[in-house]
Amino acid sequence: MAMNPMEQFTIKPIVPLHIGGYDVSFTNQSLLMVIVAVAASLFLTFAMSKRALVPSRTQSMAEMSYEFVSNMINTSTGHDGLKFFPFVFTLFIFVLFSNFFGMIPGSFTVTSQIAVTLALASLVILTVIVTGFATHGIGFLKLFVPKAPFLLLLLLVPIEVISFLTRPISLSVRLFANMLAGHTLLQVFAGFVILLGGAGGVLSVLSIAPMALIVAIMLLEFLVAFLQAYVFAILTCIYLNEALHLHDHH
Amino acid sequence: MSAQDPQKLRDLGKRLDDAQAKRVVRNVRPPQSQMGIAGRFATELGAALLVGGALGWGLDWLFGHFNIHTRPLFIVVFFMLGAAAGLRNVMRAAKEINTEIAANPAPSVQDDEET
Repeated sequence: MAMNPMEQFTIKPIVPLHIGGYDVSFTNQSLLMVIVAVAASLFLTFAMSKRALVPSRTQSMAEMSYEFVSNMINTSTGHDGLKFFPFVFTLFIFVLFSNFFGMIPGSFTVTSQIAVTLALASLVILTVIVTGFATHGIGFLKLFVPKAPFLLLLLLVPIEVISFLTRPISLSVRLFANMLAGHTLLQVFAGFVILLGGAGGVLSVLSIAPMALIVAIMLLEFLVAFLQAYVFAILTCIYLNEALHLHDHH
Repeated sequence: MSAQDPQKLRDLGKRLDDAQAKRVVRNVRPPQSQMGIAGRFATELGAALLVGGALGWGLDWLFGHFNIHTRPLFIVVFFMLGAAAGLRNVMRAAKEINTEIAANPAPSVQDDEET
């Protein structure tokens, strides 16, 4: 039983489906993504359905998340960044709910899959590129040209381009690695509990120690779950800011 | 109306102000821990190396298709450029963190929450 700490990340097909030679099965991953999306929409819709002037607890949770994201966008991209509110809010809520649903024992963490985080990060970078060209035209390429003598530019422009292309990678790897590491750690300590508990004698009593650690790590993981969603959203804002206002880049 | 009411109202006003002040403090971004900063630098550096290497490999592959044999050249050059870009990213990240700390110098001793 659960002795392999990586076993929790395996993707198992629920409804096998093959179209044109591609495996498009409905997996536990897809199921969790559907649950996350439905839960987030239902929560926000029902929380706001009364539209009370004095909000109930659930309504104020929805309002707080709205304000939280709109403040984030305002401080990091300025007022004209607010047109990206729906995009950033959706990303934030999706990542947040995925992380928190992953914390339910026995469920599946969608954001611990690099495929998911890389897809989200690519979406962010594509939005940044499209926004950049839409607002500045070809002048957006100035992002890659720092102030330097011409000969140095031959070296610096490729460096800047690579540095830009690094973003989707570091954005996705950070979220993925944090979730993967946290959940693996929990599983490893859970394995210790089982091993010590089955050892008998004094060792069985000692299994209390890793159990207590699991509780502590669990708390930390809840913090990380929120923090990673926040970091993902704020970095999106920072990148959008660069696309909107080319200056203050260097 | 009793005579105490204005006093009570003033108290309430003061309490509201206090609460509001606390809320503003809570609204600033969560401070980054040492661990988080270290992790960020590592990913920035590693990702840039990866991207540089991949670009070089791709260019070699592309030129190979036109029978121009550059095979190890581009991957070597772009790997080095990737290393440079990684350092550039790390310096940029460090600068961001510095300006952040300068903007709100909260005296803080954080535990190792990850960022």
